[in-house]
Amino acid sequence: MTRGAMVRFEWAAARRGRVVPFFAAGFALASVGVALAGLSAGGIIAVQGFARTSVSLLQLVLWTVPLLALLLGAAQGAECYELEFLAALPAPRGRVVFGRWAAWTLALAAALVAGFGAAAVVIAIFAGAADVLQYLALIGVAVLLLSAGLSVGLWMGVAARTRTRAIGVAVAVWFVFAIGADLVAIALLAVLPPGGATWNLATLLLVNPVDSARALGLGVFSADVLAGPTGAALRHLLGGWGAILLILSLGGWTIIPLRLAGRRLESVDL
Amino acid sequence: MSPHAGIELQGVSKSYGARAALQPLDLRVAPGEVVALVGPNGAGKSTTLRILAGAIHATAGSAWVAGHDVALEPLTARRQLGYLPQKLGVPLPTVVRDLAALVASARGLSAPAAVSALVTAGLGDRLDATLGEMSGGQRQRVMLALATLGAAGALLLDEPSISLDTEGAEEVREAIRAARRAGAAVLFASHHLSDVARLADRIAVMVEGRIVACGSVEELARVAGVAWDRRSPEAPIERIYRILVQGRPELHRVTA
Repeated sequence: MTRGAMVRFEWAAARRGRVVPFFAAGFALASVGVALAGLSAGGIIAVQGFARTSVSLLQLVLWTVPLLALLLGAAQGAECYELEFLAALPAPRGRVVFGRWAAWTLALAAALVAGFGAAAVVIAIFAGAADVLQYLALIGVAVLLLSAGLSVGLWMGVAARTRTRAIGVAVAVWFVFAIGADLVAIALLAVLPPGGATWNLATLLLVNPVDSARALGLGVFSADVLAGPTGAALRHLLGGWGAILLILSLGGWTIIPLRLAGRRLESVDL
Repeated sequence: MSPHAGIELQGVSKSYGARAALQPLDLRVAPGEVVALVGPNGAGKSTTLRILAGAIHATAGSAWVAGHDVALEPLTARRQLGYLPQKLGVPLPTVVRDLAALVASARGLSAPAAVSALVTAGLGDRLDATLGEMSGGQRQRVMLALATLGAAGALLLDEPSISLDTEGAEEVREAIRAARRAGAAVLFASHHLSDVARLADRIAVMVEGRIVACGSVEELARVAGVAWDRRSPEAPIERIYRILVQGRPELHRVTA
């Protein structure tokens, strides 16, 4: 059984589910909402452009995409233990994990593109198409984060074995990624002498996929302009190769957990 | 005949912590032979089949399918193996046609070949249904048709007649006969003793993780001390089963 056959099988299941249209609609509403809400504080009802919408949406992506991907991946990973018929086919069990990851990454990436794409039409009509590339980069960052989140979720699901336990672990891991790592960063800044925290912070950025995606997003949005001193500090910290390092980090968070999940599933009883 | 042809278990055991689900077990099913596993729930029938299918790993001993060690050459062994698990083993939202395409790909066959097997099994009008939309019996027939597809060396069936009507049960019997004719070793677990007596060349009676008796109906009747008439070979099977399962110490020495 080829990887392609497994991906086609899982893709057929993923696209028939309600998750994809539900999240496409959610992302579309969120994008339009953010585009409208950005200028409302000034008493203006108007659609803000792609550059500002992208920066505003980044925070939403950093919270919702990993949560969604971790939960879905964990449920899919735990379900692998119920696939005894598939596991008896002449193919490595890891291929089932890979198929699920690939199919759900494609399905949810399609939901992201459809949702953000629909909002892009609204933004382009009312605010013009300037800085649309930043918006496309935001979708790219979201897809990288989605891919890493699904992979980590699948690994946790396979390791936890039961759906309930897997989902509990997924929520805990999301909390660490989305909030816990930032608390550690704040603690480091408070404890370490000025300048001593640089490498520790850089390491934290690379070992946490949510922070990697955040830094990558701020980087591609010219954060030193839009995000003020924080963005400038990030650019200074990561230097010219920062984006590549961050993409590699997200790639690592995709490949390594996927391989670990495959190996684990191969070695344990169903 | 090549060594370990058909299905073979040598000293295979399975423990979960301190609990032994399967005592060291020896069993051989020759190519073209049908052996049935019978016994009460928890006797170790499914555990035996699941070890052979590679779903779980034996704690000790070796198992072979068509000459291949299932632990050392799992993929080669599984290429020769058709397996129908007791539970569905596939997500309920799966569409039959998609599953057929996947099985065909795994077996090196074309998708139309798999679809053709389903059409032959009278499931041509259910190809675009999901397994969740089908009755338990229809689902079982789909899974049986796909389990037997292109698996030439051995066939493992765990409660294949469960939730089937008379017609479906006859399909199972025919699938087993067809596999035997094709030279496959067939090992199946069942609580339907009349099916067992009708189909199996030998019957292995399992109790508490061990085979307490194994042989033809005639041989088991002799061991159990039950009169057996060649003209109605199925008649005493219920009685033989009860006697063997309730246990007599000397039966534990019977080898498979």
